[in-house]
Amino acid sequence: MTRVVRTRNEFEGEVMEQLALVQGEDVPAWPEGAELGIVGHAHRRIEGAAKVTGRARYTHDVQLPGMLHARVLRSPHPRARVRHVDPSRALALPGVRSVLHRFNAPKTAFRGEDTIFREEVRFVGDEVAAVAADTEEIADAALDLVAVDYEVLPHVVDLEEAIDDASPRIDEKGNVHDADRHERGDVKKAFSNADLVVEGTYRTSTQLHNSLETHGAVAVWDGDLLTVYESTQHVFGVRAGLQAALHLPFGKIRVLCEHMGGGFGSKGGIGKYTVIAALFARELGAPVRCVLDRREENVAAGNRSATVQRVKIAGREGRITVIAHDSWSNVGQARWVADPTGPTKGLYDVPNVLARAYRVVTNTGSLSAFRAPGYVEGTFALESAIDELADGMGVDPLALRRRHAEAVSDPVSKMRYSLKRLVDCYDIGAEEIGWSRRKRGGLRGSAPGLRRGLGMASQLWSGGGTPPAYATVHLNPDGTAVVRIGTQDIGTGTRTVIAQVCAEELGIALHDVRVEIGDTDSPYAPISAGSLTVASVTPAVRLAAKDAREQLLDVAAGVLEVGRAELRVENGAVVSPGARTPIAKVFEDLANYTVIGKGSRMPNPDDLVLKTFGAHFAEVEVDPATGVVSVDRIVAVHDVGRIIDPLTARSQVEGGVIQALGFALSEERVVDRATGRVLTASLETYKVPTVRDVPRIVVRFVDVPDTAANNVGAKGLGEPPMIPAAAAVANAVANALGVRVRHLPLTPRRVLDALAAGS
Amino acid sequence: MKPFAYVRATSVAEASRLLTAGSAAMAGGTDLLGLMKGGIASPSRVVDLTGIDGLRGWSRERGAGLRIGALTPLVDLETSDQLARLLPIVRQALAVAATLQLRNAGTVGGNLLQRNRCWYFRDEAVPCWLKGGTRCFAAEGENEHHAIVGTARGCNRVAPSDLAPALIAHDARVTLASARGNRSVTLADLFTDPALHSREEHTIKRGEILTEVHVPESGLQRRGAYLKAMERKTWSFATVSVAAAARVRDGKLRDSRVVLGGVAPVPWRVAAAEAEIDGHPFSDAVARRAADVLLADAAPLAKNGYKVPLAKELVRRALARIAAA
Repeated sequence: MTRVVRTRNEFEGEVMEQLALVQGEDVPAWPEGAELGIVGHAHRRIEGAAKVTGRARYTHDVQLPGMLHARVLRSPHPRARVRHVDPSRALALPGVRSVLHRFNAPKTAFRGEDTIFREEVRFVGDEVAAVAADTEEIADAALDLVAVDYEVLPHVVDLEEAIDDASPRIDEKGNVHDADRHERGDVKKAFSNADLVVEGTYRTSTQLHNSLETHGAVAVWDGDLLTVYESTQHVFGVRAGLQAALHLPFGKIRVLCEHMGGGFGSKGGIGKYTVIAALFARELGAPVRCVLDRREENVAAGNRSATVQRVKIAGREGRITVIAHDSWSNVGQARWVADPTGPTKGLYDVPNVLARAYRVVTNTGSLSAFRAPGYVEGTFALESAIDELADGMGVDPLALRRRHAEAVSDPVSKMRYSLKRLVDCYDIGAEEIGWSRRKRGGLRGSAPGLRRGLGMASQLWSGGGTPPAYATVHLNPDGTAVVRIGTQDIGTGTRTVIAQVCAEELGIALHDVRVEIGDTDSPYAPISAGSLTVASVTPAVRLAAKDAREQLLDVAAGVLEVGRAELRVENGAVVSPGARTPIAKVFEDLANYTVIGKGSRMPNPDDLVLKTFGAHFAEVEVDPATGVVSVDRIVAVHDVGRIIDPLTARSQVEGGVIQALGFALSEERVVDRATGRVLTASLETYKVPTVRDVPRIVVRFVDVPDTAANNVGAKGLGEPPMIPAAAAVANAVANALGVRVRHLPLTPRRVLDALAAGS
Repeated sequence: MKPFAYVRATSVAEASRLLTAGSAAMAGGTDLLGLMKGGIASPSRVVDLTGIDGLRGWSRERGAGLRIGALTPLVDLETSDQLARLLPIVRQALAVAATLQLRNAGTVGGNLLQRNRCWYFRDEAVPCWLKGGTRCFAAEGENEHHAIVGTARGCNRVAPSDLAPALIAHDARVTLASARGNRSVTLADLFTDPALHSREEHTIKRGEILTEVHVPESGLQRRGAYLKAMERKTWSFATVSVAAAARVRDGKLRDSRVVLGGVAPVPWRVAAAEAEIDGHPFSDAVARRAADVLLADAAPLAKNGYKVPLAKELVRRALARIAAA
């Protein structure tokens, strides 16, 4: 039976009510302590061998007969009007097939605009034209031959300069836009009644995703059917984008993403490269590949906004009484902001809060979601300020947090949490790191002159998942099964956990399950972002497997002539009193029978808030004479419901911590103010951590299923490990040095400058 | 990358004749290919030197010093225990240079002749002075990695090589060979004096090939140490590096050399700083004084002031390490 339900869903800090269509009935979650044979146990990734042997096909690997190559001409100016484009010299180059630009490209709806080639280009790297040619080299050479007449306009690239009234206004409504405001309690009164008020300005730098597989697409038309291979976190989102841009029916678009080399939030929908590939492919009657190079990736494919944040915090009688948090984010040209004040509003039970977020436009590449967008930046400012207050009040910073961490309701919505084990995270982490060693002013380091410090920070995030998501399970007559669901594995292990849940529920071995994902010809599944995937898709898979199992039992009851209630499926066999019949045997006389199980994701509970919690603890050593920060150890503890696979979960946390350490210590997009050029567009200048920079990472989970959340009891883990690590490291560095560096990343330069200033 | 002709030379004379205007010499290619892909170098002909015999490996004849062939892969020097005993500073410098993959491909000659890493210079769209433009974009721009000392009007680049300061500290010379004959210059003189306002970073002339590095016997008698500050633990050019070397006896350092990388357009050495060290009973105060003299002319830009205390600290540590060894 199909019905429409209302459900609440939180995505990247935004709570929304929506309608969803569901089918069938739910089952209760596997309870805490349930004895499960496959779920909860470590398994190697089912696609692991294909990946390490190079057989796994990524979008970049797609090679089609007669395929042409597209390259994009990008603006050399941070702001300019495109007055004229002359492609004639490019078209004269042998091997060049076509040039698209604003004067000849068809109108295409693209993210609120009606063209992919703007009249006013707004950052160095903005798309101006595209060339299709027989080879990538010819297309590249042709870019230099496209003559563009620009009228250069005044620009601003720096966040704080853009805020300044003296800077050029690059948007009709000004550069600074109100984005979000939350107020509770009586902030003014709370500040006047406080024992101690602490105030600080915190800055974070623009972080670039640097997915190893850059953004890209390959498009091919077969008659009026468009097939697009795209490195994406949302095959259905790409399909919707193509429908809007090209006015095609869904039935004439197929989007595929078999494997993908990282997205981290930046591959949430179509890119201009997708539209370019599709337009050229239609015009030229050949497959067209358009993938970005590393420079383009770091200039025009999204980023985590730089922020400047002012936090004023006060305490009274050993408690936090009020927080005021103002935050400005450099969004480039984006029309949204990743609100950094989310943790300030919801992490701690503090009675008086004023949080305001502002969106600042500049002539730089726009933000896109980046693994817990806003929360990573905001947690750094909030948790630094809390440590400063704790130090000022002479209270242990962990003890201070505990006093505000026990609330069972969300301070914003006032609704109860489905489950909250934040205090357990504190207990586990404090024990593991040896928090009792922490001393105000830090500890002596391992060599003369070195200082050692401990710090911690908490994590709040959503991760409850959402409908709609649908799965089918095809059970073959030999007892093997195929799960089909239109999700995608963005490198997190989604295939493996889907197989585990299916095998567990169906009663067959993990290796007998094949998982078909990354295809819009499969049932719908949501975007793999916002830590949504596991909690959205695995409950639907479980119901589909259950449906298949029940049909199998119907068949078995007839074939074996045993009461259905006496049958169960276990290890690939139907077990009846005193007998074990392999599934293949059950179907022996029923040649070519396919059992099709269907399942859908049921709505989230009406009356509960689904959140994930965690805490990171950092131990660092700092050399005050060279400014070098060495992270010795990170203890990462997370409360995300049931852990479906401890191995993929641990990998997820390690990856998040490493990416957060880059944000904390070395990663920073540098843009030249005068020219608007990104100076750190290569992997040599933009410093992601190397394996030598990775400390010991201890991963622990509370691992209590959230049985109110969904029938698997699992929540998302994609973003939580990215959130608190930088704040924990910054607090540890401040503890070690007795001086706080309020600007990430904590490069030797910033540490030395802060020590010299004695701030 | 622009199309180019590729020729593999089999002798120095042949390579020299091929290296006409518009040609570029290639050994490991780790720098040249980056320059070509970035549009900074667009040679019409690439002359591959790797087919030339006799320029690989190192040897030492007692009394005649150490000879290192210019085509020797960096990794061969780094992993030789024998060389590590003879001239330990080489392993120290190479262990923190680039990455293992780059050290496998990169050669000694290429390392000494690599172009600077200034992010304005390396961006083809920026018409900086070094590329024939009129001004240095770093002077008023993003200059945290730039020079603090020894700059002349026009360019604030820094010398990037890890090997160069280490070898200069041991008085290395290089042989520059061409079809017309060979000449030998000090390694320090391979780097163009910024005061000359030349847009060439190296003094090697067209048609010349760096064939050999020679460390004289006197250089081998010094104890050396190399320290490098970076923004991550590996695969990073130095924010500041220091190579120090001296003969050590009776608590005194003599014949000292202190050479900084990452702070000036050339490996930075000041004779007066070494005079503060030579012959004086070594102490931390002596080391500090030497560091002060070495950086007495430092004039940092807006964002690289941190390099001054950092360089002084590394000088102190390097000298202390030599004295204590």
